[in-house]
Amino acid sequence: MDSATAFGKVVEIIKPFVKNTAAFGEAGHGTRIIEDLGVNSARLVDIILAFEDEFGIQVDDESADRVRTLGDAVQMILQKTAPAN
Amino acid sequence: MLSTRERVGLRVQEAVAQGLILLSYYALAAWMRSRGYRIPRLRHTRRAFGALMGPERGPWLICANHLTLIDSLVIQWAMAPGWRLFLRRDRFAWNLPDRHNISRTWWLRLLGYVGKCVPVLREGPPEEARRTLDKVAFLLSRGQAVVVFPEGGRSRIGRVDPDRVMYGVGRMLQDVPAARVLCVYARGAGQAGYTDYPRPGEQFFIRAARVEPATELAGMRGARDLARQIVAKLTAMEAEYFEDPLVDR
Repeated sequence: MDSATAFGKVVEIIKPFVKNTAAFGEAGHGTRIIEDLGVNSARLVDIILAFEDEFGIQVDDESADRVRTLGDAVQMILQKTAPAN
Repeated sequence: MLSTRERVGLRVQEAVAQGLILLSYYALAAWMRSRGYRIPRLRHTRRAFGALMGPERGPWLICANHLTLIDSLVIQWAMAPGWRLFLRRDRFAWNLPDRHNISRTWWLRLLGYVGKCVPVLREGPPEEARRTLDKVAFLLSRGQAVVVFPEGGRSRIGRVDPDRVMYGVGRMLQDVPAARVLCVYARGAGQAGYTDYPRPGEQFFIRAARVEPATELAGMRGARDLARQIVAKLTAMEAEYFEDPLVDR
């Protein structure tokens, strides 16, 4: 999977939780999920679990804690879906 | 994992708080009475708590709805008289107030310390949340009681708000599976939305119920499942409150 595809899916997953729709329209890799998009921090777990379901990955607590921006989410997903050498 | 210093700090706080419980409890009870706060049928309410909790020791996770800054005080007042908390230190519950609220003045910080408060940083970084969970796990593993508001803060809609539910309460149960859960629904008769303090002269409706949340899921899914079960119970208790024609609202 390429970065653009992952980004598109991440945006779709996060969309229902976004409160700041104006910022969402201009969202990029550096957009912060909580601070910029207004996503309730309590819902981050739901978002991470949705990533697991969508991409068939397992996200441990440490990896989940590192997801602050949309780019962090994409990076994590690409790492976890990359074929093992 | 908590550092030795943090563990010792919590033990010292517990000892100090326990040593001053009669003073702090009755001073706060006097303050609440001075504002006209009242729990109708207080003795009956305390008996009900006693029957639900039984004679056994903790740990207890007391999960409540949240509408004012003094909800945990009201719950503790309803649970037992000060002298009983003096004898049963495991029933004198810890609280997890927002650091911003408890740090406003020196006397609030002092009251928080002797009131067994562990200040937490809401919306803080994940490391902060993890440290709070570690502290709660430590306290529960020592057989203590901890009051938790699964909504994370005072409900902005005046009702139990499932959209705000934090799954930390589920993590706490995963960390200490031996913890027993008591759901408490507390509400002032005139409490329409969230406020700092209940209105003067407020009368509180308080009901408690034991629940045994269980899940076969692990990790974050398990925590979410457990938290949702607890909040579902609080929501049901709230529905009972609003449907009960005998409740004075």
